[in-house]
Amino acid sequence: MKGSLFALLGGALITLQGVANSRISQDIGTWQTATVTQFTGFIAALLILIFVRDRNWTKLKQVNPLYLSGGALGAFIIFSNITAIHHIGATLAISIVLIAQLCLTFIIDIKGWFGVLKQKMSLSQCIGIGLMIAGVVILRF
Amino acid sequence: MIAGLFFAFIAGSLVGLQNIFNSKVNEHAGSWVTTTLVLGLGFLASLTLGLINDGRNLFIIHNMQIWCWFSGLIGVGVVVCLMNGIKLLGPTFAILLVMTSQLGFALLWDSLGWFGLVEVPFTLKQFIGVLVIMSGVLVFKLSERQKITRSKNRLIVKRSKKIIS
Repeated sequence: MKGSLFALLGGALITLQGVANSRISQDIGTWQTATVTQFTGFIAALLILIFVRDRNWTKLKQVNPLYLSGGALGAFIIFSNITAIHHIGATLAISIVLIAQLCLTFIIDIKGWFGVLKQKMSLSQCIGIGLMIAGVVILRF
Repeated sequence: MIAGLFFAFIAGSLVGLQNIFNSKVNEHAGSWVTTTLVLGLGFLASLTLGLINDGRNLFIIHNMQIWCWFSGLIGVGVVVCLMNGIKLLGPTFAILLVMTSQLGFALLWDSLGWFGLVEVPFTLKQFIGVLVIMSGVLVFKLSERQKITRSKNRLIVKRSKKIIS
């Protein structure tokens, strides 16, 4: 029950973040929005990090630098998300975001890229993605 | 329209990629080191691209409302919720609920026209569209869960065979 509340609130906050960013970018530029929001987020996370015990910077050295650099993708993610919401609204934008996200994860799982456990393609996963695309078609036409 | 779909597709693919990279960092360094690193790098990348694109104008911030400075905190809220959700429910169910909730709130706020969104009147067609997408997420995630259990079982069988022999 508590877990479900966390998950539902988390989802609401992800959407809120996209929508709030696209609102802010109406007043200031899109890159300014991405810079400002990630800056405040970074400062907040840093403050929390000081107070939690679970931190180990030295272990970062064991991680492949490619994976460490993933954060930089955030700039493109926020920019694209804002632009998409401006053009097609939140519902359609988020639907496409989720489809692309699951498709990519699916492909990576099948190919076993980036050292993830290689998995067989299953019919029901294809059906799931098919249903999502059908839903977008219903939304739009 | 096409531009919107294109950018949404790019955003989604990058989110998928970033999730995988972040989970690799997470395994070694823990959630808050990962979050701080991810947001810090995202900030630096945005700053660089903003400077290339807008030049010094990037630092001229007029008519930004005060609350905008706090919007970055939403991201921190997301991390807290996802961390706890995944811990309590496991990744499959947690992400299933997160995605369902994302879609539900998007539909709600589009229909209300909140946060400067262009108001899209709530229609039956939209409701059905979102329900179908949610059911797609459900089918996808549940089959993923089955697969994981199956591969775990296979591993257990293999190990026990080894022990027996």
